[in-house]
This record gives sequence, structure tokens and C-alpha cells, in this order.
Amino acid sequence: MDAITTQQPLSSEQIFNLLKTFITEVIGEEFVEDLDISRESSFTRDLEMDSIEIVSFSEKVKSHFGEHIDFTGWLSGMDLDQLINLKLDDIIKYIESCQSSK
Amino acid sequence: MASFAFIVPPLMGHINPTLSLGAALLRRGHRVGWISLDATLASRLPEGGELLHVRYDQDDAAKKDNEQYLDQITKKNVSGIESIKFLYEEVLIPLNRFMYDGIINILHQFQPDVIIHDHQLFAGAIAAYQLKIPYATSVTAPAAIKMMEDLPGIHEWEIRQIVGLQQELGIPGDVSVATSEALTLVYTSKTFFGDMALPDHYKFVGPVILNRQSLHAFDWERFRQLDKHPRILVSIGTTFDHSYKKEFFGKVIDALGGAALTVIVVSAVSLFEEWPDNFIVQDKVPQLELLPYLDAVVCHGGHNTVCETLSHGLPLVVIPIAYDQSHVAGRVIQAASGLRLNYKRFKATHLKEAVWDVLSNPSYKTAAQRIQQSFAQAGGAATAIALLEELAIPKHFHH
Repeated sequence: MDAITTQQPLSSEQIFNLLKTFITEVIGEEFVEDLDISRESSFTRDLEMDSIEIVSFSEKVKSHFGEHIDFTGWLSGMDLDQLINLKLDDIIKYIESCQSSK
Repeated sequence: MASFAFIVPPLMGHINPTLSLGAALLRRGHRVGWISLDATLASRLPEGGELLHVRYDQDDAAKKDNEQYLDQITKKNVSGIESIKFLYEEVLIPLNRFMYDGIINILHQFQPDVIIHDHQLFAGAIAAYQLKIPYATSVTAPAAIKMMEDLPGIHEWEIRQIVGLQQELGIPGDVSVATSEALTLVYTSKTFFGDMALPDHYKFVGPVILNRQSLHAFDWERFRQLDKHPRILVSIGTTFDHSYKKEFFGKVIDALGGAALTVIVVSAVSLFEEWPDNFIVQDKVPQLELLPYLDAVVCHGGHNTVCETLSHGLPLVVIPIAYDQSHVAGRVIQAASGLRLNYKRFKATHLKEAVWDVLSNPSYKTAAQRIQQSFAQAGGAATAIALLEELAIPKHFHH
């Protein structure tokens, strides 16, 4: 997905749907059909994404929001346990906090 | 003549490159020993190689308790990022703590000029540091280095585990000594590893796979008798649990049973009562001897199997399970030398499609041959040996 300049803050729902699109792009549509993706889904346990899939997901988030959020920096700050437990809701909240601080 | 001591964990993929290097060092007249917990390693060593077996008194209860940890790696179901936590907390840290005293004792007796420790046996680096013996690090799973860049949080967490052990073993401070600053041998090429700024002591020598004796028999006669179909090898290495294998090879049977292929499977024959007629199943195979006759390899993304396959210019289907394998699979994709499936999600049809895709689309093989070439150019054992011999020259002779 190309970088879109998102001057307009996205609603929580819009962010969720966007992240779902990225997950679909990374793991493939046919697999997503079998998954019940919610805000509480964790990347490792619920979505069974491995590290390289999480990396490519984060690249999509990064290229979408560009300089508007420091997603890589935020993710880099996470230690192993935080990464294992990372869920969609954590990312939605982070993006929202970046939007509201502008 | 100098003396070299390898320090290895009881894991095949980590031992194999040292056997090739050791054989080359022995041929050049050096003394070479292998420090290991595994007594059976003696039968795999090149001629003249010495097994320096780490052993403790039977009545040492604490040591005996620790020994149980070693079985963990083959018995627990682990996958994804969580497997890294398991690997360090339940395998590597206890294993290194367990081996440390034994390593120190052996080093006092053997007195090597140079220590070559596996990057996961940081107890070897800690011991070398404490005894002031020059040491090189043998990186058998280089994707771990790449992970520093991709997910730095994981790498920092790993370093904290290592530094914790160092402090316990008497090295104050929070700088890891686990990677040698004199020489870190990485058994791949920069082309395959990918771009990353690393210090000069990281030497990408390529895979070292020569001069290894094979102990495993193979049914060559049946192999030749089977129809002249494409031949593939399916292996998920030596460290995964039985229940994993049952599920995995069940899918392999569904995907490839009865196909116009010869399928060599590395598995206990007893896993299933019956295997398809086009399968040859053995619990161990002479992989390096087989590769020249194969057309593709399906594997779990263990670094050794992937590099051995690419050294033969063959395409891959990689299905990473745990540890660094996801990143190794990422490199295979980056190099366009194969396809990747998600271990948890893939179904038999995906495997079938992927296998036929890498066999019928020549671009994968061409890409694999590009990597093959980069490996040849990396220098291999000869380059590694020259670097190790240089490390054996006492410091005051250096210019």
C-alpha cells in the first residue's frame, strides 16, 4: 500500500480496519477468513504470526503513516515479553496517542 | 603447529561446520579438540580430533538436575517469538551455566592457543575471556545477527540474559563478551545475509561443508530404481518434537503422496504405519551426499540445511518453526531462491503448490545458483582457517 498523507486523524475503527488490511496483506486472504481478528487479538498467539511476518506488518504500518508516527522506534523499545503479548489494541492506542498529540 | 579447541552445544547444525574446519586444521598439522557434553560426538570427529568430554561427578545433585534441561529442546512444543524466550531461559542459560566449570577445567588441561566457541555457547567466550585465551565466535545461526536490526528489542533482551550469566560467573559490567571482537566467523555470504553495517571482525566466510564423514547409510538402490521424476528432500531437522512431526509429515503425505516425484523424508519410519510408494523414509540421511542428485528441498529453515541446499544451487520451500528460522526463511524469499509457508497455517494444498512452483519455475533455481556462486566466492574453510591461524599467532608478533 502506498503512503497516504493522513492529515485527518483516523477514528479508532478506521485504524482497526487499516491494521486488518495490513495483516491480510501479510498472511494472505484465505487464512484471514479462518481467523476472528479483534482488537484483543495478539500477533504471536492468536494470529500465529512469526517474527518475519511481524516485521513485514510493521513495515506496512511505517510506510502508511510515514513520519506521522515513529512506529519503528516504538516497536524497537519493546522487549521480548511485550512483543510476545503485543495485540492490535496496543497499536491502535499508540497511533491514537500520536494523532492527539499533534 | 598450534592447538585449537572448539566448544559446541549438543546440536547437529552447530557442530557440523566445526567438523569441516577441524578436519582442515588437523590436516595442516594442528592439534584440535572438541569440548562437548555429548560423548557420542567422538564417532563423528575427523581423524585425529580429540573429544574433550564435559563430565561431572555423579553425586553432584545440582549438576544432575541441570542436565535435564538439555532434553528440553527436543521435547517441548515451541514456535514463533515465544520460542526465543524458551530457548534462552530454559535451554541456553542453564546449558551454559552447566557447562562452564567443565569448560574451565578442560581448558586448564588442554591449554589451546585459540578457542572457537559456538555463538550460543557463550560460556565458552566467558571462559576464554576469564583465562585470557584468544577466542573466535562460530556463528551457526547468523539470522540471530540480522534480528538485531529487525527487532532490536529481542536482541537487547538476549544480551541481558547473557550479561546476567556473565556477572554470575564473575565478569562485572554489562558489556557482553559473547561475540569475539577478534574474529566472528559467519557461515554465509553477505549476498545471502543481506545488507547490514557490522564491525570488521565479522567475517562472512560462506558455508563450510567439505570433509565431513557421513555415518548414515542410504538406500541408493531404491533411489535409483524409482522413476526418473524430480527428487526432493523433506526435513525439519533434528530438534523438533514427535507430535510436531506427526502433524507436519501428515500434511507432506497428503501433499506429495502418489505425485510424480521421488520424496526423501527424514523421519522415524514408525511415525506412520504406511508411507506412500514414492517416499523413501529414513530417520537419518547422508544429506550432503544426496544433495547433488536432488531438484529441491523442503525444510524448516535451519541455517545449515538452507545453506547446504543453496550451496548446491537448489531451490527451497521453507516452513520455519521456531528460533531464528523465520528470519532464515526471510532471506530465502529476499534472494528469490524459494517459497515460504507459515508452519502453523499451511495446508497440504499449499505445500503441493509451492513444491511444484519451485520445481517448474526456473527463476528459483537461477536465484539459488546466484547464492551458490556468492558462497563459493566467500572463501569457505580455507579463508576461515587462515583467519584462525592468524589468531593463533601470539599478540607480540603482530605488526
